[in-house]
Amino acid sequence: MTLLVTIRVALKALGRNKLRTALTMLGMIIGVAAVITMVALGRGAQQEIETQIQSAGTNLIRVRAGNFRRGGVSMGVGGAPTLTVEDVEAIRREVPGARYLAAGVSTRDQVIAANRNWNTQIEGTDVELPLIRIWDVETGVFFNPSHVRSAAKVAVLGSVVRDNLFGEGADPVGERIRIRNQSFQVLGVMAPKGTGGFGQDQDDTIFVPYTTVQKKLRGRDGTNISGITISADSPDNVNPVADEITAVLRAQHGIPPGEPDDFMVRTQTDITTMRSQMTQTMTGLLAGIAGVSLIVGGIGIMNIMLVSVTERTREIGLRMALGAKGRHVLWQFLVEAIVLSLVGGVVGIGLGFGVSESLTRVLLWPTAFPADAVALAVGFAAAVGIFFGFYPARQAARLDPIDSLRFE
Amino acid sequence: MPVIAVRDLAKTYSTGAVEVRAVRGVNLDIEAGEFVAVVGPSGSGKSTFMHILGCLDRPTRGSYELEGRDVSRLTRDQLADIRNTKIGFVFQGFNLLARTSALENVELPLLYRGPSVRGAERRRRALAMLDAVGLADRVDHMPNQLSGGQQQRVAIARALVNDPAILLADEPTGNLDSTTSREVLDLFRQLNA
Repeated sequence: MTLLVTIRVALKALGRNKLRTALTMLGMIIGVAAVITMVALGRGAQQEIETQIQSAGTNLIRVRAGNFRRGGVSMGVGGAPTLTVEDVEAIRREVPGARYLAAGVSTRDQVIAANRNWNTQIEGTDVELPLIRIWDVETGVFFNPSHVRSAAKVAVLGSVVRDNLFGEGADPVGERIRIRNQSFQVLGVMAPKGTGGFGQDQDDTIFVPYTTVQKKLRGRDGTNISGITISADSPDNVNPVADEITAVLRAQHGIPPGEPDDFMVRTQTDITTMRSQMTQTMTGLLAGIAGVSLIVGGIGIMNIMLVSVTERTREIGLRMALGAKGRHVLWQFLVEAIVLSLVGGVVGIGLGFGVSESLTRVLLWPTAFPADAVALAVGFAAAVGIFFGFYPARQAARLDPIDSLRFE
Repeated sequence: MPVIAVRDLAKTYSTGAVEVRAVRGVNLDIEAGEFVAVVGPSGSGKSTFMHILGCLDRPTRGSYELEGRDVSRLTRDQLADIRNTKIGFVFQGFNLLARTSALENVELPLLYRGPSVRGAERRRRALAMLDAVGLADRVDHMPNQLSGGQQQRVAIARALVNDPAILLADEPTGNLDSTTSREVLDLFRQLNA
């Protein structure tokens, strides 16, 4: 008996009891659909995080003043007055791989324009920031080096701040806003960038020269900065450049070997890796739970196949009386189980695809169709069919023809 | 040489403490072309004897040679081959596959034949057999759409489709009324002629 004939015999047997066949498949369908949906959701989340982190800037290295690992008292990152403009100049001089640098010092305050006001992040930075973060100015211009030198009272608005102070889509270039009772001139508006890697709204911010924050917005006049944003000249160079920066800053600050840094250097890769690990764990967990339902589906198939073997004992006896060998019967039932799980698996993939698509459409959850998970699910479905189908099939193959024919 | 040669054939069932000696030392030769009836009261071991002749069951003692070959000590698979190619068996209760057409029921033994028979050839032979038992116009009917006599004729066609050396029928008219019984027995005589 050829495999093709076996498959046809199995399909006919399944077709004789359509409702039961459909119900048996349902377990498999739901199991596979759950796995596909969970993995699709997990992948979607991961992809979104990756694009968010990429949107922060490429080859990005951030230096923050202070180090929570230093001393008995935590100063908080950015809180310790350990970074200065001289450090920025030292890095610019001694680390050629650091292509763009921007000193940063930020504050938070109420911003007032005519009759509206808005509380937002005021980010003091340098002229190279748009290059580092790959962030265009939508209307107007970014401030220039002379603004920084003179601590000019100029500002470039994030699109959310513009929307809240001047109305959506308004052109505020040339208008004036007030921060801490001082009048700032609006130079431009940044293009919308969306949510950042940690869920913060990157567009809810105002950029001003860091010197202006130091001299005009913070009470004290000083040369301290809270951080430096750096762009390395190539992705491969990010880690070497980060190491060089660490060395330069340790020399600048006169930290003897063995003592901890009084600053923190973080690269884009660190952040990406951390977030990816988090979502991978979540995806694995969810897929694992969904996998349990796959196994339950497989047990359902075994259950039905066992019932089916008992119910069709006379049929098996008859087939044997007509010359079917043990292996013919074994294959017939095994193929039935595999068809159940494979067809269930394929329908489950369709359903899982449909569910994740509608999650994306209706709830706007990002999903990514996982091609490898689909292959895995089909393979797993077939394996479940073989594994859970084998025992009932072997039971059937071992039956004695005459006992089976007498079976009531 | 006889087709069937049985020597001192016995079958004993042991169900717990009780031993049932269903067949006790039968000696029998049947030549090709013979038409033989086994008669006896209910419970006298007719069916058990038929099952052993049909290679569905094995004797506990004695020998059974089918076409000169001792079949009482063959493996399960060897017995399956013999049932498939040498023996046609007709049961009292028809034993047709439900929800399966007469044609497909008759094709069934051909599915399990050693060198596989192609689909078209299976169909041709099954149709010829159904024609031989007078059911050419019922090939696509399901068993539940056929009368008892017609069902038994499908079963006979199925038993003959592999051109066996012997045709065994265990009370083939037991489930049929007297008129239909006569028809079925006439069919057997006709086939034997």
